[in-house]
Amino acid sequence: MDLPTFLASLESSGVATKIRNSLYFFPLIEATHVFGLAMVFGTMAIIDFRLLGLASTRRSFRRMASDILKWTWAAFIVTAATGSLMFITNAGVYYHNIFFRTKIVMLALAGINMLVFELTAGRSIDRWDKAASTPLIGRTTAVLSLAIWITIIFLGRWIGFTTTRATVGPEPQINLDNIFPGASEGTTPTAPPNEK
Amino acid sequence: MNQFAQWLSQTYLSILIQNHNGWVIPTIQSIHIAGIGVVLASVFMVDLRILGWAGLDQTLRQTTNRFAPWLTGALCVLLATGVLMVIGEPVRELITVSFWIKMFLVGVGTLVAATFRISLRKHEHHWEDTISNRASIKWLAILTFLIWVVIIILGRLIAYDHVWGSWSPAQKA
Repeated sequence: MDLPTFLASLESSGVATKIRNSLYFFPLIEATHVFGLAMVFGTMAIIDFRLLGLASTRRSFRRMASDILKWTWAAFIVTAATGSLMFITNAGVYYHNIFFRTKIVMLALAGINMLVFELTAGRSIDRWDKAASTPLIGRTTAVLSLAIWITIIFLGRWIGFTTTRATVGPEPQINLDNIFPGASEGTTPTAPPNEK
Repeated sequence: MNQFAQWLSQTYLSILIQNHNGWVIPTIQSIHIAGIGVVLASVFMVDLRILGWAGLDQTLRQTTNRFAPWLTGALCVLLATGVLMVIGEPVRELITVSFWIKMFLVGVGTLVAATFRISLRKHEHHWEDTISNRASIKWLAILTFLIWVVIIILGRLIAYDHVWGSWSPAQKA
């Protein structure tokens, strides 16, 4: 099966069709996606700031990691699952969207960055577990992690603004600009991409 | 409120944002989401400590001191970016059910956090020894976290107010 066929088969799958035909599924899935990524970013940042020696500096890194990272992973699973559900509703469009592609590359980089940490500073935790100052490579991966995840948040938002959500359902198409003429004054009259 | 939204949309700052809406609005939204991550994780860590599920090497006071400034700071960022979003797209924000329930819950969440911090400061030992062990307080910790989760979900639903059906003022208008 070639790629366009595969993407089309995702779009025509029962799950994708159900989401598209519902007034509620896509918004709720997207909202859950935001919740999940807020958890991923927020909990990750706590670890990154510890690595950078900027917060929680007197605490054992190992202890913090074991307290927190399981939740980060749980939230990541929620985010990945909801992200996949959104993707299949309009796979062809998202696949060709440059922000979506960059986001996937960034997710891969986040994974590589984590691997680098595990294989370097992560192997010598015993030596710096309770020290405020962590190895340079640990601090480097922490900065990269923060930068990558913030970029991912921006890219995600840009996907929403550059794609049109596929809707087959009876979504009420109310144009607020017609109701409140003042609202659009000064804006370019181009049709906004779906939302958002 | 419709009139206010209309008036707001004519203001200089609103028109400035509207004229650059291609990147200004998504940028503000992205910063807003990053801020939400900090708020949610901060509340989460204190709640986990109250539940005894994490951070047991720290006292409740230490945990709160670690995360409360981040909560406050992030809430300020959220307020600033939130106000900018309302100014930039008054009708999209203000004429929705989700926005107003969200604002109410933000008030409740902030009030709970502030009350907790003041009470902890006043009755530190009492909190460490007994209060945090009460089942009611543990349930309150879970409820507080859920309030912030609902706030996030409502925040995203502002873009989709049709989910409220006839409750949505946008539908009636």
